[in-house]
Amino acid sequence: MSSVELVELSVRAGAKVIVSNVSLAIEPGTWCTIIGPNGAGKTTLVETVAGLRRPSHGSVSILGESIADLNERERAHRVALVPQHPVVPAGMSVYDYVALGRVAHHGLFHPPSAGDRRVVESVLERLSLVDFRERDVATLSGGERQRTVLARALTQSTMVVVLDEPTTGLDLRHQMDLLELLKGEVHECGLTIVATLHDLTLAGQFADRLVLLDGGEVVLDGAAAVVIRSDELAQRYGMALRVVDVDGSDVVVPVRHTPHVNGA
Amino acid sequence: MALVAAGTVVALFVAIVCGLVVGPTSLPTWRVVGNIFAHVGIGHNTLTPLQSTIVWTLRAPRMVIGLLAGSMLAVAGGTYQGVFRNPLADPYLLGVASGAGLGATFAIIDISHGNGTPTWTPLLAFVGALGAVIVTWLIGGRSMRSNTSTLILAGVAVASLLTSAQTFLQQQSSAGSITRVYIWLLGSLASAGWGTVGLVLPYVVVCIIVCVGAGRALDVMSVGEDESRSLGVPVRRVRFIVIAASSLGTAAIVSAVGLIGFVGIIVPHIVRLLVGTSYRRILPISVIFGAAFLVFADTIARTVIAPSELPLGVVTALIGAPVFVVILSLRRPVAV
Repeated sequence: MSSVELVELSVRAGAKVIVSNVSLAIEPGTWCTIIGPNGAGKTTLVETVAGLRRPSHGSVSILGESIADLNERERAHRVALVPQHPVVPAGMSVYDYVALGRVAHHGLFHPPSAGDRRVVESVLERLSLVDFRERDVATLSGGERQRTVLARALTQSTMVVVLDEPTTGLDLRHQMDLLELLKGEVHECGLTIVATLHDLTLAGQFADRLVLLDGGEVVLDGAAAVVIRSDELAQRYGMALRVVDVDGSDVVVPVRHTPHVNGA
Repeated sequence: MALVAAGTVVALFVAIVCGLVVGPTSLPTWRVVGNIFAHVGIGHNTLTPLQSTIVWTLRAPRMVIGLLAGSMLAVAGGTYQGVFRNPLADPYLLGVASGAGLGATFAIIDISHGNGTPTWTPLLAFVGALGAVIVTWLIGGRSMRSNTSTLILAGVAVASLLTSAQTFLQQQSSAGSITRVYIWLLGSLASAGWGTVGLVLPYVVVCIIVCVGAGRALDVMSVGEDESRSLGVPVRRVRFIVIAASSLGTAAIVSAVGLIGFVGIIVPHIVRLLVGTSYRRILPISVIFGAAFLVFADTIARTVIAPSELPLGVVTALIGAPVFVVILSLRRPVAV
């Protein structure tokens, strides 16, 4: 059984079709990254997988169950979301923020159980956030904040995590750190990751599978190493791209169109 | 937190005693306290029958309605600030005040040849208050997918329309009617009796329980609608329930005591500065603090220029604003 299955999925915003007839089956314990130029429909697609948007046609299933048949709490047991621009409420401690991930487990009218607290502690430890537990989330640096948002998602203890541009606003080291953390979770806990990423090098290095979206449609779908070297990729981005092998890793380099200068 | 809770409970107890003891007729504090205990079977009553009548017929119902109004307005304000994620939200945001004002004005000017305030004023004020919120919800409630600003704007539009209608009615009525409407609008606990308490109590108790019970949901909702839904919170249902409870409780209070401003916006802010940003702490403490605050304010309102009274809304602002400024300057302000 696939972890995530999209069948002929279309999503509209008013009259405009944002995602058109997308069918995907994502296997458990794999990392699938959605890539594509701005306006391709990446965010809409992952938000629909997370249950935040209603499909205009087709269906989304998580672990064999259609999300249209699940209420918010049941959905939160199956899929967690790391949004592109998380809302960080000033005055809330890192511990309390991360513990929000357990709300679907203990409910809105009961306090967290000892088991819930153990999960929070464990995630804080795994993501090296123990020293920050009493810090106000609004005072964290970009890297610390993104790790905290990821910790909240992992605290939901779902088998599927959806991430929309999780490296936005992070410097190179923090981008790598965050994605390595996530990769570790995929290996250790068998998580299924559905992410969007703008950085094609990071997308190629961390994902098992890349799906290239353009105009809301899937135009390429395959192993990361194959998609990243496809000519179609450069065409869809409308620019020249070079893929360079650096110590066994693919690095995607944009090539600048140098204007021809006449010697005369 | 424990210290703040204990301090608030002590303030409430002091407010209750002040509400019963302080007034034009001087009553001995310990005898009044003894009389209260005697009513629950502890000790003996040492007040004269006249003093006992003053306590239980005049001051106690007024004090109780003050407790109910203060706690309801404060918790409704805190709930609105949480659900709208807006620090300027107060219980009158969705048109409760203007709806109640129009209803009361309609009742008062309807007997332009009479001198008093008719007995059906609270009923029409209640209907007006609830009607305004329902119209606001019908206009703005559907388009609340990504934020609540449409509902707030609908509230502004409905309030403006109803206030205009009220102004028109006043303009068409006699000077005496205008004065009575004006007095009603300023809010007062003076006419409260046990009958009023009995009418308002069920609404207020149920609505306060619902609002305080929503504290954990409001904490989660501080991360925005989409993230709250992804965390498992049925945001739209929670929003509807807490707005309905806050509005119903506020409508019941406003119909009984008129428009008392300031409590609903400032009390939750003062409490937030003292206990932090969690609505699980803000809302229950606001219930107690709001109750104590309004009874203190009413005690001042009815004694400073006795036998006349100051408008209660003026007193709440005169006390609350400086207290708020002092706490604000002592503590780092925190977000809603």
